[in-house]
Amino acid sequence: MNRKHLGITALIFILALLLAACSTKETTQPTPENNQNENTTETDPKDNEEVKLDPLKFSISMRTLATAYVESHPDINEDKWVKSLEEMTNTDMTIRLIPHREYVERMTLMLASGDIPDVVQASGGVLGPELAGAVEAGVFMPLDDLLKEHGQNLLKVIPQEAWDQVTYDGKIYAIPDYLANRSRRGTAIRMDLLEQTGLGIPKTTDEYLDVLRAFKQLGVENPFQGRESFKYADTFFGAFDAFPYQWEYYNGEVVPKFMAGDKIKDALEYHRVLYQEGLIHQEFLTTPQPEYRSNIIAGKAGMWSMNAEEVLAWESEIQQNVPEARVAIIPSPVGPDGHGGHYLYNSVIRSFLINSKTKVDVERLIQYFDWQVSDEAEMFFTYGVEGETYTLDANGNVNYEIPEDSNGLNEQRYRSYWLWLVKDATYTKGILELTEDGQELIRIFDDILANEGRDSIHYDPPIEALQSNPDIRPGSDIPSSVWMSGAARIILGQEPIEYHDKIVEEWLNKGGRQAIEESTKRYNENNGVQKPN
Amino acid sequence: MMLKQNLRTMWKFKALYLIALPGIAYFILFKYVPLMGSVIAFQNYNIFHGVTGSSWVGLAHFEKMFSYPEFIRILKNTLLINLYDILFAFTAPIVLALMLNEVRKVVAKRLIQTIVYMPHFLSWVIISGIFIGVLSPSSGLINNFIQSLGYEPIYFLGDDSYIRSIIVGSGIWRDTGWGTIIYLAALAGINPALYEAADVDGANHWQKMWNITLPCLLPTITILFLLQIGNFLDFGFERVYVFLNPLNRVNGEIFDTYIYQVGLLQNQFSYTTAIGIFKSIVGLVLLVGANWLSRRATGNSLY
Repeated sequence: MNRKHLGITALIFILALLLAACSTKETTQPTPENNQNENTTETDPKDNEEVKLDPLKFSISMRTLATAYVESHPDINEDKWVKSLEEMTNTDMTIRLIPHREYVERMTLMLASGDIPDVVQASGGVLGPELAGAVEAGVFMPLDDLLKEHGQNLLKVIPQEAWDQVTYDGKIYAIPDYLANRSRRGTAIRMDLLEQTGLGIPKTTDEYLDVLRAFKQLGVENPFQGRESFKYADTFFGAFDAFPYQWEYYNGEVVPKFMAGDKIKDALEYHRVLYQEGLIHQEFLTTPQPEYRSNIIAGKAGMWSMNAEEVLAWESEIQQNVPEARVAIIPSPVGPDGHGGHYLYNSVIRSFLINSKTKVDVERLIQYFDWQVSDEAEMFFTYGVEGETYTLDANGNVNYEIPEDSNGLNEQRYRSYWLWLVKDATYTKGILELTEDGQELIRIFDDILANEGRDSIHYDPPIEALQSNPDIRPGSDIPSSVWMSGAARIILGQEPIEYHDKIVEEWLNKGGRQAIEESTKRYNENNGVQKPN
Repeated sequence: MMLKQNLRTMWKFKALYLIALPGIAYFILFKYVPLMGSVIAFQNYNIFHGVTGSSWVGLAHFEKMFSYPEFIRILKNTLLINLYDILFAFTAPIVLALMLNEVRKVVAKRLIQTIVYMPHFLSWVIISGIFIGVLSPSSGLINNFIQSLGYEPIYFLGDDSYIRSIIVGSGIWRDTGWGTIIYLAALAGINPALYEAADVDGANHWQKMWNITLPCLLPTITILFLLQIGNFLDFGFERVYVFLNPLNRVNGEIFDTYIYQVGLLQNQFSYTTAIGIFKSIVGLVLLVGANWLSRRATGNSLY
């Protein structure tokens, strides 16, 4: 063999190696875990000898929801709580995490690639943008019959309102993780600062203004801590019933609330005052979530809006920086009509859809979800494992220590909020009941938050005229970008209040007119509309 | 026959062809096959029905694009940001390389080089964090300085008029040092005899730079410029997206961020593919034009 041939053979060899490397990569990746089909012997579900069955093997995709414990976990499938859950339910889950921030893109890519897990977790209803029309295209299976047979408890526990949200074309397509109380955001205030000002708990928008001014005088850096895109910065829009991303019936048409009379101008004027007097964080229009939170934790904020369930955790974090700090949720400011509050959440916060091509035993899968609302599940997700994280005394009372460090709290929240697939997500009752602060929080939820909040007209499927024009389309709790850019100018004082008429005009010209026509028509026909109570 | 002759030459240089094979395969697989995906611009693409199952709509998406009221604004932003980038970010490394070339102390030169390379290794997310911090009206370095001079602080990121400068400026800060590498290499390749001859003729520093260094650098500059033109309108999504907010979107939004916003977040695949095709065509026209111009003017060209 001469040298030339040697070179060529070497080349071919390398090429072959390269090709082999490529092909193995391609073939190993897409083989889903569910290839090993269960050979579950057709046992009667009432038969209690389930122990003999193999663990139910299935894959599930879940959004991380910015849960600290999940996002910092090296491998969630090896997590001890996942393992105990699998042991208790005789399952073998393979969780595929979807990063919180890239949720929509990653879901779309997953669906487009065709490599869809057996169970897919979606947000809210079953027609959201992340599913890219998968339900309409028949990618997921209708569950009515299965639920009737194997999901009796689910049907009993989950409110009808939530089922309605996961129904498409008359059929249920998902199992909802629901909110019984849709008012979740509250107005938080530093009580220690309020006491220093000598003022009482404010009620009206004017009284709120007084308190914020007094905070400023005390030297509080950000009397009201805002956040970008008006997310968690819309407390006062609620007082005026003018959330710019909500819709209402006004003068025979369904219009965005910013077109229903002049209330939006009052709200903008109010914000302008807040901004000019330095009562709201000066950069709130560009403050991202981490900075928003760290400002509050550092004790630089006097008042803000937040998910009320987390108020105890945040309070203890603030106390690490400002020992005397005390945080309370107070009734949100009320406007001219005597009401107020934040926007009302969708009654479904997550929903679980089942792949119509799954090879997993669907009946057992439904049973697994049905188990989630059982007492056994509640004990496990709330307190963990008996003998390890809690004990029961002779009377059957629970002995559970609420963790004090943030790691422990993160773990507890992960278990009761993230890993618990189906429950009333308003708050984890079993944990709050244990402490006085917690009982207080339950009272806040039941007495304060349940009585406030502003609802909107919802459309499912969404309005088409908005779908095709992202500039005028609002998110679930953020205004459309056309409105936001304009409103920001008004608040910053670059334009007068009257400039709002121009925003409306622009909004209408960019497709808003069609959106109003379409929404009014559907409202009158009662076609996929949820009207506020 | 031609074919036979061609095959014979191919056989003669079979080793060369073999070596080229992986490259050819790469381009077919990763550049030409995805190109076929562009047909979805002429369909109402549904990811579950695929290319074969989706309905054809002809040029509807292109019509929609041109009739879209914001199209002109986004095109203008894209063109302006790219133009500024070529004007400033492209020339900055040349100037820096010439300046570095004049530094005679090797230790100092190495030190400066290392420092200016550094930002290149930071991700845009981090860079935006640094810039947002430095430019902040309440706590930023620059505004502290402005305030100490007795002026009102400026909300740089909250104002339409600064966003393009910030985007281009951050790019310069990040990549200028990195960009000097090629120029420094070219500078090192200049024949020292030219300088010696100039010394004999009594040329000063400035004259040497103007008459020797720059002409010797010109071929490198043209090639890099043409490569840059090829990426015109292809400014990169991330470096713009990290700076955008509702206050500066009007002047900051470019095709890439718009495509992301609409295509990926709102599932308008066909529509955004149409925009992508338009973008590529403009890029191609510019590249061919610039290449032709450069061949006429300097004799240097890509092809």
